[in-house]
Amino acid sequence: MNRNLIQFSLVLILLLFSLTALAQRAITGKVVDAKTSEPLIGATLKVEGSQAGTQTNADGEFSFSYNSLPVKVQVSFVGYVTRSIEVRDTQALTIELEPDMELLEDVVVIGYGTAKKSDITGSVSSITEKDFNKGVNVSAEQLIAGKVSGVQIVQSSGEPGGGITVNIRGMGSLNAGNSPLYVVDGFPIDNSSAVSGTGANFTGMRTARNPLNSINPNDIASIEVLKDASATAIYGSRGANGVVLITTKRGKEGGLKVNYDTYYGVQNIMNDIDLLSANDYKAVMNSLIDAGAGNANLKIGEFSGGTDWLDRMYHKDAPIQNHNLSFSGGNQSTKYHTSLNYFNQDGVLINSGNKRYSARINLEHTNKNFTFGTNISSSYVADNYVANGMDLNERAGIIYAAIAYEPTLSVYDQENNYVLSKNMNIDNPLAIANGKTSVSNLYRTLGTIYGEVKFLKDFTARLNLGADITSQRRDTYIDRQTMEGRSNGGIASILTGTNNSFLSELTLNYRKRFNQQDLNVLFGTTGQQFNSFDQSSQGSGFPSDVTKTDNMSLGDPTRFIVTSGRSRNSLLSYLGRVNYNLYEKYLLTASLRIDGSSRFGENNKYGVFPSFAFAWRLENEDFIKDLEFISSLKLRSSWGQTGNQAIGNYQSMTTYSSGQMAVIGNQQVSTTTPNRVPNPNLKWETSEQLNFGLDYGFLRNRITGSLDWFVKTTKDMLLNLPIPRTTGFSTMMTNVGSVRNGGFEVLVNTINLTGPLSWESTLNMTWLNNKVLDLGGIDNIFTGSAGGTSNIALISEGLPMYSFYGYVIDGVWQEGDDFSVTKDNVKPGDFKYRDINGDKVVNADDRTVIGSPFPNFMASLTNNFSYKRFNLNIFLDGVWGSKMLNNNLVDTYFPANLMRNRLAEPMLNRWTPSNPSDVYPSFINPLGQGKKEVNTYTVENADFLRLNTVKLGYDFHINRSAVKGLGVFVTGQNLAMWTKYKGYDPSINPNGGGVRIDWNAFPTARTILFGVNLTL
Amino acid sequence: MKKNIRYIGLGILLSGTVLLTGCRDFLKEEVYSQLAPENYLKTREGLTSVLYETYAKAANMNSNNSIYVLGPQEFMTDILYQSGDNVEATIRNFREFNWEPNMDFLIQNWDSYYQCIRNANILIENIPSSGLSASEKSLFEAEARFLRAVAYYKLYFFFGPVPLRTGTTQELSLARASDDEMKQFIASELKYASENLPAPGSEPQKHRAHKAAATGYLLKFYLNTKNWTEAGNVSSQFLNTFKGYSLFGNYKDLFKVENENNSEYVWVRPAIPSSSRVTANSWSNVSFPDNFKSAPEIGLEFKSTWLNWPNEFRIYDDFYASFETGDKRKDLMITYYINTSNERIELLGNDNVRSFKYWPDQNHVGAAHGNDIPEIRFADILLSRAEALNELNGPGEEALQLINQVRARAGLAGLKLADVSSKEVLRDRILKERGHEFYNEGHRRMDLIRTGRFITDAQARGKNAQPHHVVFPIPQVVIDSDPAIVQNPNY
Repeated sequence: MNRNLIQFSLVLILLLFSLTALAQRAITGKVVDAKTSEPLIGATLKVEGSQAGTQTNADGEFSFSYNSLPVKVQVSFVGYVTRSIEVRDTQALTIELEPDMELLEDVVVIGYGTAKKSDITGSVSSITEKDFNKGVNVSAEQLIAGKVSGVQIVQSSGEPGGGITVNIRGMGSLNAGNSPLYVVDGFPIDNSSAVSGTGANFTGMRTARNPLNSINPNDIASIEVLKDASATAIYGSRGANGVVLITTKRGKEGGLKVNYDTYYGVQNIMNDIDLLSANDYKAVMNSLIDAGAGNANLKIGEFSGGTDWLDRMYHKDAPIQNHNLSFSGGNQSTKYHTSLNYFNQDGVLINSGNKRYSARINLEHTNKNFTFGTNISSSYVADNYVANGMDLNERAGIIYAAIAYEPTLSVYDQENNYVLSKNMNIDNPLAIANGKTSVSNLYRTLGTIYGEVKFLKDFTARLNLGADITSQRRDTYIDRQTMEGRSNGGIASILTGTNNSFLSELTLNYRKRFNQQDLNVLFGTTGQQFNSFDQSSQGSGFPSDVTKTDNMSLGDPTRFIVTSGRSRNSLLSYLGRVNYNLYEKYLLTASLRIDGSSRFGENNKYGVFPSFAFAWRLENEDFIKDLEFISSLKLRSSWGQTGNQAIGNYQSMTTYSSGQMAVIGNQQVSTTTPNRVPNPNLKWETSEQLNFGLDYGFLRNRITGSLDWFVKTTKDMLLNLPIPRTTGFSTMMTNVGSVRNGGFEVLVNTINLTGPLSWESTLNMTWLNNKVLDLGGIDNIFTGSAGGTSNIALISEGLPMYSFYGYVIDGVWQEGDDFSVTKDNVKPGDFKYRDINGDKVVNADDRTVIGSPFPNFMASLTNNFSYKRFNLNIFLDGVWGSKMLNNNLVDTYFPANLMRNRLAEPMLNRWTPSNPSDVYPSFINPLGQGKKEVNTYTVENADFLRLNTVKLGYDFHINRSAVKGLGVFVTGQNLAMWTKYKGYDPSINPNGGGVRIDWNAFPTARTILFGVNLTL
Repeated sequence: MKKNIRYIGLGILLSGTVLLTGCRDFLKEEVYSQLAPENYLKTREGLTSVLYETYAKAANMNSNNSIYVLGPQEFMTDILYQSGDNVEATIRNFREFNWEPNMDFLIQNWDSYYQCIRNANILIENIPSSGLSASEKSLFEAEARFLRAVAYYKLYFFFGPVPLRTGTTQELSLARASDDEMKQFIASELKYASENLPAPGSEPQKHRAHKAAATGYLLKFYLNTKNWTEAGNVSSQFLNTFKGYSLFGNYKDLFKVENENNSEYVWVRPAIPSSSRVTANSWSNVSFPDNFKSAPEIGLEFKSTWLNWPNEFRIYDDFYASFETGDKRKDLMITYYINTSNERIELLGNDNVRSFKYWPDQNHVGAAHGNDIPEIRFADILLSRAEALNELNGPGEEALQLINQVRARAGLAGLKLADVSSKEVLRDRILKERGHEFYNEGHRRMDLIRTGRFITDAQARGKNAQPHHVVFPIPQVVIDSDPAIVQNPNY
């Protein structure tokens, strides 16, 4: 139908041209894209039946002479429908070429190959550049955060370049990792950090900065997320958590195209947390002391000034900038894309930041049946860290310290030293920020080189070799501005690490079309080896802070600590896949991978991972073809098994490694310790997934999208099974237990308005549920801790993994209540915990499940408007049904000691005889009933709806100049958030992993960017 | 043609595969930075290295375990209590006898000892087939059995009888041993060690086991199990055999780092300061009162690099008051101090007296101080023998003479027979003497239990102590890990 329309309009245009034609010699004009009106560079014009012709120049313009008019000219350009035009006069022409829908019909990258979107049988989400997130994107995952149904992408915190958790279709593993496999241009990368640890006495986030930061997001052309087993089983023992395929930009046929994209922006914290101000603090503390909460000598008298400590930690209007310069182009045989990138972001906490310099060369050359190419990128990432993270007291980072520090103190004492609190074992927040420095320098080169030969018409063989080498060094120094630095004479740490991995891969493809059938067979073998090396050294007792980490030998030689380590693991695999397409109606895919991993026990070295899928393209059936409103309709079903081998090395054997130091002969001696009870039967986790899906297009594809229902069951879960602790070990890695993730995913793309004002929308919705089916006979596994809060989450059969487990608070005991219902020593103003078992005592037996860390519903809505040269992108996302432990609220309700500052609201509205609050306790004896830290107050609802990004752009009309395109834009990120959560941001997970704990998080930034895109 | 295609395809696939698997054992797990057991435990170096960790596990000095192994022996007694910082909630439960299996500091008194036992069992099994000389084999075995016995000793008096794991081939699940099995095992193993270990002074290195240490533990074991006859025999054997031990001249200086190599310490939990705090004494950090500058009573000036934690161990006024006038042993405690604003702050009268028994270390590293914690010292041998003699025969000259040696060093007049009219009176005097002599050394709980005063004493102080509190609950994680282990009654 569409085709006919296009043809019809073509004829019309032709007719128009013919009417205005006059006999002249020079033929001039411009070739543009029919949709975007962008000039097409290097389009070919050829007089039919003659050698005459030309190509469009860098402005898309052409000019050539011909001896007689009218003449028929063929206009062609790769990726566009070739047109034939009758030229009748010399009036400048504007020739619009329609993009070739057949060609553009979305080629999607899949494992070890590509496929037309209509041929896909599995559940694959493909996001291309135009749909990427518009704000600040430090890493690849951020490009698609919120854009793919079934995929939850959670930032650890607002730390620049901070860690990101990606869960595709829920979490299915307790110990083998839940991160998807990332494949960059066909190279499966190891996404672990080269350096773990922060250096001595330096508190860092629990999640390392994101190793994917070293890949320049501006280089990425598309990201495919493989979700169901039919798509992922080809990755075998690494496919269980889904696969993210990252494809970088290629050069296109045509002249040199130079792009310069830049933005500059400022960041401020999105949301502050309210602490007691100095005056409120004084009033509240003094009244608590009067009420018996503390010793009278703690009372606060006159103070001058005071300090808003948190405010001193924030870096206001923190700058961020990005510059990306690319050169691309090519001809029929050689195509190239090269780029340079500089990115620099300061954190919204002082002394933190992230910088990246990267370069890329993608080259491909084709000579008849032989193609070879290379994709190489190299980057340098420099990180600046400020000490902040999940620790407390003398180890506290700046947010913890700034929250706890008395607001009545000044920053400096009389001698102009940082003032120290007399009431808590915490260093001055500014001393921590300025006296603890840590920088990291990371270098990563990732490259593949490939050759492909077509032979015997239907065969293609491809050899792909690759290497990924990361080398990192981190320097941390604790100087004498800090308590610890003074006490130890400065502490210097240098951590270095190298990760490398090498890939060798050979695939053979056979493709044959016959009798309306299309057969595509793939065989391959691949081997990959991963090595890691690390080394650390630590010294203290330096004569001066001046040399920091630059001269370790100045330290006290008796205190040097040196460590090193090395490990290797290897994968050897065989893979095969058959795609069979019958009558463009029935599509069949079967795949098999055999994976051998060095990580597994002697008895289980190889695993087999099969998958099958069937799809039915209903739109090509006669009974649907006639239905006007249906443009496309495809039913998909798939089943398959994938594995997860992401446990540490050497888990199947007992080894000896360094043990606890002993004192022998008046000195410390190193020792060795047995590592584990060996398990020679150890193997991969198996994940079995069933998927049913529907791809649809209605009303001439004005409404398109897909629906997917899946159930994914992880079996033989790798579990650190608690074993009797009398063995001297606490756990043994065993294959037991199973977890099920189920869900429903909806994608709806609509074209709401066309014409001068156009409006397109994309709606993503995901319903998810997670349930532990079997734990191999263990009743409960308690896990998760932060500071003094432990056993936060429960893993138990029938519940979502990592369910929060704690006490229910029913309010506050009031005067006149019936205290005979409890044997606990409670007073009016104390928390009223629910006595679940009714034994009149509230103890550990009265804990219950109080929430799940996983959302049961996630949604996002993207709206793209364009009007003339303006375009507007609005992106909203939200999450419902998940909870998070706000451990800063724990610190408020169960303070380590009275004088620590806390969140204002509960303190200002606390229970007093004259203000008998039923919400907030009296805070007179907060530990009176023990520390019941995990409860319905501190485990907060982390639902939110967020105005994630708004981008307003304007494209200038450039006429006849060296500049082919100029656009400017302004983008706002994290503009608004609707939530009841009391911390900085409910969308983050500072703890990483499944146990969601927010504690001393790096605040999230609200960012305003101004940018320019320039095309030459 | 079709056939050819297949062959070519197959050929390419095969050559690729050969390329990859060319290096055989591609999937063999190569271990680089860890050591494989097959060869490692055959060597002297390997066995020594595992033996050293066995010592470290028995000493249990990692992180703050120095004070959290001592603490549960004193938090519930008449000596001290703790408040401040975030451990207060837990320690309050100890003090108030609100004990439950999930509370902190229980597992710290379980895991390290079972890791010690694990290592000892590995050693005992691997020594025979190792390349050690015959004399080394005998030495290593005696040391391993000594350390294993010490670990069981600690577990037994903390939790009651526990599963008796004596080899690595036993079933993973193991029920608790009977009281008799437990006692018999500990006593016979310590006897074996006392016979086969080197004499004190001939051990290969300081801090390795010797006969006197094993004999000392055996004496303490008999004493705490109220086997007075054996306690009498072993104490007499100790005094007759190990003549090198004597009381250190000056009580106040005994616990200083510089005097650690004294003739009084029989066995210690050794400490060396380091930034990793794996063998650290943390006592000083919890002793300094707020904004401490100096303590004129004992001549202590705060060094700016010392750390002063808000976690505070405070001595009861009553305990301080129970010292006789002139008792030099209380010279390690302060009743007031000068703070950083040069104000005098009173501690006595607020149950806030501080003990500096472990005199702060000038060569500390951060929070890590180097004071060894004595487990058995000569004064304990003397008072233990005195106690055994009293229990066997009632007050007598020999018992008094032993006690008076200890009193004389403290600057106190000797007791006379006339002062102690009965076995009960002398028992009380010895208990009191032991309190004054051994405060902050982790003996008080067992001394009170042995003399039947632990529960009544706590009840008299208004605590919720019950008869079952003579042992701690087994940690919940331990119960959860092995259904064969039955919790102590009433927990």
